[in-house]
Amino acid sequence: MEDRGGKGRLATIFVTMFRIGCFTYGGGWSIFAQLEEEFGEKRGWLSKEEFLDIMSLARSFPGIMVINMSVMFGYKVCGVPGAMAAAFGLSAPAFIVISIVTFCYEALMRNALVARAMIGVRCSIVPIVIVAAARMKKTVLGGWVTWVLAAASFLLCLCSGLNKLVMILAAGLFGMAIWRPVKEPEQGEEP
Amino acid sequence: MIFLRLYLSFLKIGFSSFGGMTMIPIINDEVLRYGWMTSAQVMDIVAIAEMTPGSLGINCATFAGMQIAGLLGALCATLGVMTPSLTLCLAAAVCIERLKGNRWLEAALKAVRPVSFGMLLSVVITMSAVFVDQSHIMWNRVLISAMVLAAMKKWSLSAPKAIVLAVVLGLVMGV
Repeated sequence: MEDRGGKGRLATIFVTMFRIGCFTYGGGWSIFAQLEEEFGEKRGWLSKEEFLDIMSLARSFPGIMVINMSVMFGYKVCGVPGAMAAAFGLSAPAFIVISIVTFCYEALMRNALVARAMIGVRCSIVPIVIVAAARMKKTVLGGWVTWVLAAASFLLCLCSGLNKLVMILAAGLFGMAIWRPVKEPEQGEEP
Repeated sequence: MIFLRLYLSFLKIGFSSFGGMTMIPIINDEVLRYGWMTSAQVMDIVAIAEMTPGSLGINCATFAGMQIAGLLGALCATLGVMTPSLTLCLAAAVCIERLKGNRWLEAALKAVRPVSFGMLLSVVITMSAVFVDQSHIMWNRVLISAMVLAAMKKWSLSAPKAIVLAVVLGLVMGV
Protein backbone atom coordinates (compact mmCIF):
# COMPACT_ATOMS: atom_id res chain seq x y z
CA MET A 1 0.00 0.00 0.00
CA GLU A 2 1.16 3.54 -0.66
CA ASP A 3 2.07 6.13 1.95
CA ARG A 4 0.19 5.81 5.18
CA GLY A 5 0.10 9.25 6.69
CA GLY A 6 0.02 12.85 5.65
CA LYS A 7 -2.33 15.65 6.56
CA GLY A 8 -4.48 14.98 3.51
CA ARG A 9 -5.41 11.56 4.79
CA LEU A 10 -6.15 12.82 8.26
CA ALA A 11 -8.50 15.45 6.87
CA THR A 12 -10.17 12.86 4.65
CA ILE A 13 -10.65 10.54 7.60
CA PHE A 14 -12.14 13.28 9.78
CA VAL A 15 -14.48 14.63 7.11
CA THR A 16 -15.67 11.21 5.99
CA MET A 17 -16.23 10.01 9.54
CA PHE A 18 -18.11 13.22 10.29
CA ARG A 19 -20.34 12.60 7.30
CA ILE A 20 -20.97 9.00 8.31
CA GLY A 21 -21.70 10.22 11.84
CA CYS A 22 -24.34 12.63 10.54
CA PHE A 23 -26.48 10.04 8.85
CA THR A 24 -25.99 6.85 10.75
CA TYR A 25 -28.80 5.61 12.85
CA GLY A 26 -28.60 2.45 14.82
CA GLY A 27 -25.92 -0.06 15.26
CA GLY A 28 -22.47 -1.06 14.31
CA TRP A 29 -23.16 -3.00 11.17
CA SER A 30 -24.37 -0.04 9.14
CA ILE A 31 -21.29 2.00 10.08
CA PHE A 32 -19.09 -0.96 9.32
CA ALA A 33 -20.64 -1.26 5.88
CA GLN A 34 -20.11 2.43 5.17
CA LEU A 35 -16.50 2.36 6.35
CA GLU A 36 -15.85 -0.61 4.14
CA GLU A 37 -17.37 1.13 1.15
CA GLU A 38 -15.65 4.50 1.69
CA PHE A 39 -12.18 3.33 2.62
CA GLY A 40 -12.09 -0.22 1.33
CA GLU A 41 -13.82 -0.32 -2.01
CA LYS A 42 -13.51 3.35 -3.01
CA ARG A 43 -10.02 4.15 -1.77
CA GLY A 44 -8.44 0.75 -1.19
CA TRP A 45 -6.77 1.82 2.05
CA LEU A 46 -7.56 -1.43 3.80
CA SER A 47 -8.49 -4.87 2.57
CA LYS A 48 -11.72 -6.71 3.35
CA GLU A 49 -9.84 -9.04 5.71
CA GLU A 50 -8.40 -6.13 7.63
CA PHE A 51 -11.89 -4.70 8.05
CA LEU A 52 -13.23 -8.01 9.32
CA ASP A 53 -10.38 -8.29 11.85
CA ILE A 54 -11.17 -4.78 13.07
CA MET A 55 -14.86 -5.56 13.36
CA SER A 56 -14.39 -8.71 15.39
CA LEU A 57 -11.83 -7.14 17.74
CA ALA A 58 -13.84 -3.95 18.22
CA ARG A 59 -16.69 -6.08 19.48
CA SER A 60 -14.39 -7.75 21.98
CA PHE A 61 -13.45 -4.58 23.84
CA PRO A 62 -15.51 -2.54 26.25
CA GLY A 63 -16.89 0.81 25.27
CA ILE A 64 -18.85 2.09 22.34
CA MET A 65 -18.46 -0.41 19.57
CA VAL A 66 -18.53 2.00 16.65
CA ILE A 67 -15.93 4.23 18.32
CA ASN A 68 -13.77 1.17 18.99
CA MET A 69 -14.08 0.28 15.34
CA SER A 70 -13.17 3.75 14.13
CA VAL A 71 -10.17 3.98 16.49
CA MET A 72 -8.78 0.73 15.12
CA PHE A 73 -9.47 1.73 11.56
CA GLY A 74 -7.91 5.18 12.00
CA TYR A 75 -4.85 3.71 13.65
CA LYS A 76 -4.30 1.24 10.83
CA VAL A 77 -4.45 3.98 8.23
CA CYS A 78 -2.73 6.91 9.95
CA GLY A 79 -1.42 5.87 13.36
CA VAL A 80 -2.53 7.58 16.56
CA PRO A 81 -3.53 10.87 14.86
CA GLY A 82 -5.67 8.83 12.48
CA ALA A 83 -7.36 7.07 15.38
CA MET A 84 -8.17 10.43 17.00
CA ALA A 85 -9.42 11.93 13.74
CA ALA A 86 -11.71 8.94 13.15
CA ALA A 87 -13.10 8.77 16.70
CA PHE A 88 -13.76 12.49 17.07
CA GLY A 89 -15.04 12.82 13.53
CA LEU A 90 -17.60 10.10 14.11
CA SER A 91 -18.77 11.40 17.48
CA ALA A 92 -18.84 15.13 16.70
CA PRO A 93 -22.22 15.18 14.89
CA ALA A 94 -23.95 13.33 17.72
CA PHE A 95 -22.37 15.68 20.24
CA ILE A 96 -23.62 18.75 18.38
CA VAL A 97 -27.12 17.40 17.75
CA ILE A 98 -27.65 16.24 21.33
CA SER A 99 -26.33 19.51 22.76
CA ILE A 100 -29.01 21.34 20.81
CA VAL A 101 -31.71 18.80 21.71
CA THR A 102 -30.85 19.07 25.41
CA PHE A 103 -31.00 22.83 25.15
CA CYS A 104 -34.61 22.60 23.94
CA TYR A 105 -35.58 19.59 26.07
CA GLU A 106 -36.75 21.42 29.21
CA ALA A 107 -38.83 23.90 27.25
CA LEU A 108 -40.36 21.16 25.12
CA MET A 109 -41.27 19.03 28.12
CA ARG A 110 -43.33 21.88 29.55
CA ASN A 111 -45.61 21.63 26.54
CA ALA A 112 -48.61 19.50 27.51
CA LEU A 113 -48.89 17.84 24.11
CA VAL A 114 -45.21 16.89 24.05
CA ALA A 115 -45.45 15.54 27.59
CA ARG A 116 -48.36 13.37 26.50
CA ALA A 117 -46.47 12.07 23.49
CA MET A 118 -43.43 11.35 25.67
CA ILE A 119 -45.50 9.03 27.86
CA GLY A 120 -46.05 6.91 24.78
CA VAL A 121 -42.37 7.14 23.90
CA ARG A 122 -41.29 5.98 27.37
CA CYS A 123 -43.66 3.03 27.13
CA SER A 124 -42.02 2.06 23.83
CA ILE A 125 -38.55 1.78 25.38
CA VAL A 126 -39.50 -1.41 27.24
CA PRO A 127 -40.46 -3.29 24.04
CA ILE A 128 -37.46 -1.82 22.20
CA VAL A 129 -35.10 -3.20 24.84
CA ILE A 130 -36.94 -6.55 24.82
CA VAL A 131 -36.53 -6.83 21.05
CA ALA A 132 -32.83 -5.89 21.31
CA ALA A 133 -32.33 -8.52 24.02
CA ALA A 134 -34.14 -11.14 21.97
CA ARG A 135 -31.81 -10.41 19.08
CA MET A 136 -28.78 -10.76 21.38
CA LYS A 137 -29.99 -14.05 22.81
CA LYS A 138 -28.90 -16.23 19.92
CA THR A 139 -25.26 -15.16 19.90
CA VAL A 140 -24.94 -14.90 23.67
CA LEU A 141 -26.58 -17.98 25.12
CA GLY A 142 -25.24 -21.41 24.29
CA GLY A 143 -24.84 -24.16 26.85
CA TRP A 144 -26.10 -24.22 30.40
CA VAL A 145 -23.17 -22.29 31.88
CA THR A 146 -24.08 -19.19 29.90
CA TRP A 147 -27.72 -19.54 30.98
CA VAL A 148 -26.65 -19.72 34.62
CA LEU A 149 -24.40 -16.69 34.18
CA ALA A 150 -27.19 -14.67 32.60
CA ALA A 151 -29.67 -15.68 35.30
CA ALA A 152 -27.20 -14.92 38.09
CA SER A 153 -26.41 -11.53 36.65
CA PHE A 154 -30.12 -10.77 36.22
CA LEU A 155 -30.86 -11.63 39.85
CA LEU A 156 -27.79 -9.84 41.21
CA CYS A 157 -28.79 -6.68 39.37
CA LEU A 158 -32.30 -6.76 40.77
CA CYS A 159 -31.52 -7.83 44.32
CA SER A 160 -28.15 -6.27 45.09
CA GLY A 161 -26.32 -3.06 44.48
CA LEU A 162 -23.24 -4.90 43.29
CA ASN A 163 -20.97 -2.76 41.16
CA LYS A 164 -21.49 -3.73 37.51
CA LEU A 165 -17.88 -3.17 36.54
CA VAL A 166 -16.91 -5.70 39.21
CA MET A 167 -19.45 -8.15 37.78
CA ILE A 168 -18.02 -7.74 34.27
CA LEU A 169 -14.45 -8.23 35.47
CA ALA A 170 -15.43 -11.27 37.52
CA ALA A 171 -17.22 -12.74 34.51
CA GLY A 172 -14.14 -12.23 32.36
CA LEU A 173 -11.92 -14.03 34.85
CA PHE A 174 -14.48 -16.80 35.26
CA GLY A 175 -14.63 -17.28 31.50
CA MET A 176 -10.86 -17.49 31.24
CA ALA A 177 -10.81 -20.01 34.06
CA ILE A 178 -13.42 -22.43 32.75
CA TRP A 179 -12.88 -22.08 29.01
CA ARG A 180 -9.12 -21.93 29.39
CA PRO A 181 -7.54 -22.48 26.00
CA VAL A 182 -5.75 -25.76 25.78
CA LYS A 183 -2.60 -25.89 23.73
CA GLU A 184 -3.40 -27.33 20.35
CA PRO A 185 -1.23 -27.34 17.28
CA GLU A 186 -3.93 -25.71 15.12
CA GLN A 187 -3.50 -22.41 16.93
CA GLY A 188 -0.24 -21.80 15.12
CA GLU A 189 -1.86 -22.01 11.71
CA GLU A 190 -1.96 -18.59 10.21
CA PRO A 191 -2.18 -17.76 6.56
CA MET B 1 -15.66 18.61 41.37
CA ILE B 2 -18.59 17.98 39.11
CA PHE B 3 -16.59 17.80 35.88
CA LEU B 4 -14.23 15.19 37.23
CA ARG B 5 -17.12 13.19 38.66
CA LEU B 6 -18.92 13.27 35.32
CA TYR B 7 -15.77 12.13 33.56
CA LEU B 8 -15.18 9.27 36.00
CA SER B 9 -18.79 8.09 35.95
CA PHE B 10 -18.88 7.91 32.19
CA LEU B 11 -15.46 6.30 32.17
CA LYS B 12 -16.93 3.56 34.32
CA ILE B 13 -19.95 3.31 32.02
CA GLY B 14 -17.61 2.92 29.06
CA PHE B 15 -15.51 0.25 30.68
CA SER B 16 -18.48 -1.84 31.86
CA SER B 17 -20.46 -2.05 28.66
CA PHE B 18 -20.10 -4.11 25.55
CA GLY B 19 -21.95 -2.36 22.81
CA GLY B 20 -25.34 -0.80 22.26
CA MET B 21 -28.13 -1.36 24.71
CA THR B 22 -25.94 -3.14 27.29
CA MET B 23 -24.92 0.35 28.30
CA ILE B 24 -28.38 1.18 29.69
CA PRO B 25 -28.16 -0.69 33.02
CA ILE B 26 -24.85 0.93 33.89
CA ILE B 27 -26.00 4.38 32.79
CA ASN B 28 -29.08 3.88 34.94
CA ASP B 29 -26.95 3.02 37.98
CA GLU B 30 -24.61 5.95 37.68
CA VAL B 31 -26.98 8.79 36.84
CA LEU B 32 -29.60 7.70 39.37
CA ARG B 33 -26.96 7.30 42.08
CA TYR B 34 -25.91 10.92 41.87
CA GLY B 35 -29.43 12.13 41.13
CA TRP B 36 -28.25 13.48 37.79
CA MET B 37 -31.26 12.20 35.88
CA THR B 38 -34.56 10.53 36.69
CA SER B 39 -35.33 7.12 35.25
CA ALA B 40 -37.95 8.77 33.02
CA GLN B 41 -35.19 10.98 31.62
CA VAL B 42 -33.02 7.94 30.97
CA MET B 43 -35.86 6.50 28.88
CA ASP B 44 -36.24 9.81 27.08
CA ILE B 45 -32.57 9.82 26.17
CA VAL B 46 -32.73 6.23 24.93
CA ALA B 47 -35.58 7.34 22.66
CA ILE B 48 -33.71 10.47 21.57
CA ALA B 49 -30.62 8.37 20.90
CA GLU B 50 -32.65 6.06 18.68
CA MET B 51 -34.12 8.99 16.75
CA THR B 52 -30.91 10.97 16.23
CA PRO B 53 -27.63 9.96 14.61
CA GLY B 54 -24.90 8.62 16.83
CA SER B 55 -24.56 5.83 19.33
CA LEU B 56 -26.38 5.58 22.63
CA GLY B 57 -23.19 6.08 24.65
CA ILE B 58 -22.21 9.40 23.09
CA ASN B 59 -25.78 10.68 23.06
CA CYS B 60 -26.40 9.79 26.66
CA ALA B 61 -23.12 11.26 27.87
CA THR B 62 -23.75 14.49 26.01
CA PHE B 63 -27.32 14.74 27.30
CA ALA B 64 -26.46 14.01 30.93
CA GLY B 65 -23.35 16.21 30.92
CA MET B 66 -25.16 19.09 29.29
CA GLN B 67 -28.06 18.92 31.73
CA ILE B 68 -25.84 18.74 34.77
CA ALA B 69 -23.02 21.11 33.94
CA GLY B 70 -23.52 22.70 30.53
CA LEU B 71 -21.34 22.33 27.49
CA LEU B 72 -18.15 21.66 29.44
CA GLY B 73 -19.96 18.95 31.38
CA ALA B 74 -21.11 17.40 28.11
CA LEU B 75 -17.53 17.42 26.88
CA CYS B 76 -16.19 15.75 30.05
CA ALA B 77 -18.87 13.05 30.01
CA THR B 78 -18.39 12.34 26.32
CA LEU B 79 -14.62 12.11 26.68
CA GLY B 80 -15.17 9.77 29.62
CA VAL B 81 -17.33 7.36 27.66
CA MET B 82 -14.87 7.46 24.74
CA THR B 83 -11.80 6.82 26.89
CA PRO B 84 -11.90 3.00 26.75
CA SER B 85 -11.85 3.19 22.96
CA LEU B 86 -9.07 5.75 22.94
CA THR B 87 -6.88 3.76 25.33
CA LEU B 88 -7.64 0.04 25.51
CA CYS B 89 -8.82 -0.31 21.95
CA LEU B 90 -5.98 1.81 20.60
CA ALA B 91 -3.53 -0.44 22.42
CA ALA B 92 -5.31 -3.42 20.86
CA ALA B 93 -5.01 -1.83 17.42
CA VAL B 94 -1.24 -1.65 17.90
CA CYS B 95 -0.98 -5.39 18.45
CA ILE B 96 -3.94 -6.45 16.32
CA GLU B 97 -2.00 -9.32 14.73
CA ARG B 98 -1.31 -10.93 18.08
CA LEU B 99 -4.82 -10.41 19.40
CA LYS B 100 -6.98 -11.63 16.58
CA GLY B 101 -8.48 -14.99 17.34
CA ASN B 102 -6.92 -14.88 20.80
CA ARG B 103 -8.56 -17.64 22.79
CA TRP B 104 -8.17 -16.05 26.19
CA LEU B 105 -10.07 -13.06 24.92
CA GLU B 106 -12.74 -15.30 23.45
CA ALA B 107 -13.03 -17.29 26.68
CA ALA B 108 -13.46 -14.12 28.73
CA LEU B 109 -16.08 -12.76 26.34
CA LYS B 110 -18.03 -16.00 26.34
CA ALA B 111 -18.77 -15.32 30.02
CA VAL B 112 -18.98 -11.52 29.83
CA ARG B 113 -21.67 -11.50 27.15
CA PRO B 114 -24.28 -13.51 29.11
CA VAL B 115 -23.63 -11.29 32.14
CA SER B 116 -24.22 -8.16 30.03
CA PHE B 117 -27.35 -9.83 28.70
CA GLY B 118 -28.64 -10.55 32.22
CA MET B 119 -28.05 -6.91 33.13
CA LEU B 120 -30.02 -5.79 30.11
CA LEU B 121 -32.94 -8.03 31.09
CA SER B 122 -32.92 -6.63 34.61
CA VAL B 123 -33.28 -3.15 33.17
CA VAL B 124 -36.55 -4.22 31.53
CA ILE B 125 -37.90 -4.86 35.03
CA THR B 126 -36.51 -1.58 36.39
CA MET B 127 -37.96 0.33 33.48
CA SER B 128 -41.38 -1.19 34.01
CA ALA B 129 -41.70 1.46 36.71
CA VAL B 130 -43.09 3.55 33.89
CA PHE B 131 -46.31 1.52 34.15
CA VAL B 132 -46.89 2.61 37.73
CA ASP B 133 -47.96 6.07 38.81
CA GLN B 134 -48.48 6.80 42.51
CA SER B 135 -48.79 3.05 43.20
CA HIS B 136 -51.51 2.61 40.59
CA ILE B 137 -50.94 0.43 37.55
CA MET B 138 -51.58 2.54 34.46
CA TRP B 139 -53.22 0.02 32.13
CA ASN B 140 -53.25 2.39 29.19
CA ARG B 141 -49.43 2.52 29.36
CA VAL B 142 -49.19 -1.26 29.56
CA LEU B 143 -51.42 -1.38 26.50
CA ILE B 144 -49.21 1.09 24.59
CA SER B 145 -46.16 -1.07 25.35
CA ALA B 146 -47.94 -4.25 24.30
CA MET B 147 -49.12 -2.66 21.05
CA VAL B 148 -45.63 -1.36 20.23
CA LEU B 149 -44.13 -4.79 20.97
CA ALA B 150 -46.74 -6.51 18.80
CA ALA B 151 -46.10 -4.04 15.96
CA MET B 152 -42.34 -4.53 16.20
CA LYS B 153 -42.77 -8.30 16.05
CA LYS B 154 -45.37 -8.33 13.31
CA TRP B 155 -43.85 -5.85 10.86
CA SER B 156 -40.28 -6.03 12.21
CA LEU B 157 -40.34 -2.28 12.76
CA SER B 158 -37.03 -0.58 13.45
CA ALA B 159 -36.70 1.31 16.72
CA PRO B 160 -37.14 4.82 15.22
CA LYS B 161 -40.38 3.72 13.53
CA ALA B 162 -41.58 2.10 16.74
CA ILE B 163 -41.00 5.41 18.52
CA VAL B 164 -43.00 7.31 15.92
CA LEU B 165 -45.83 4.84 16.51
CA ALA B 166 -45.44 5.37 20.26
CA VAL B 167 -45.73 9.14 19.83
CA VAL B 168 -49.06 8.67 18.07
CA LEU B 169 -50.28 6.17 20.69
CA GLY B 170 -49.13 8.51 23.46
CA LEU B 171 -51.05 11.42 21.99
CA VAL B 172 -54.18 9.32 21.61
CA MET B 173 -54.18 7.44 24.90
CA GLY B 174 -51.34 8.71 27.09
CA VAL B 175 -52.32 10.16 30.44
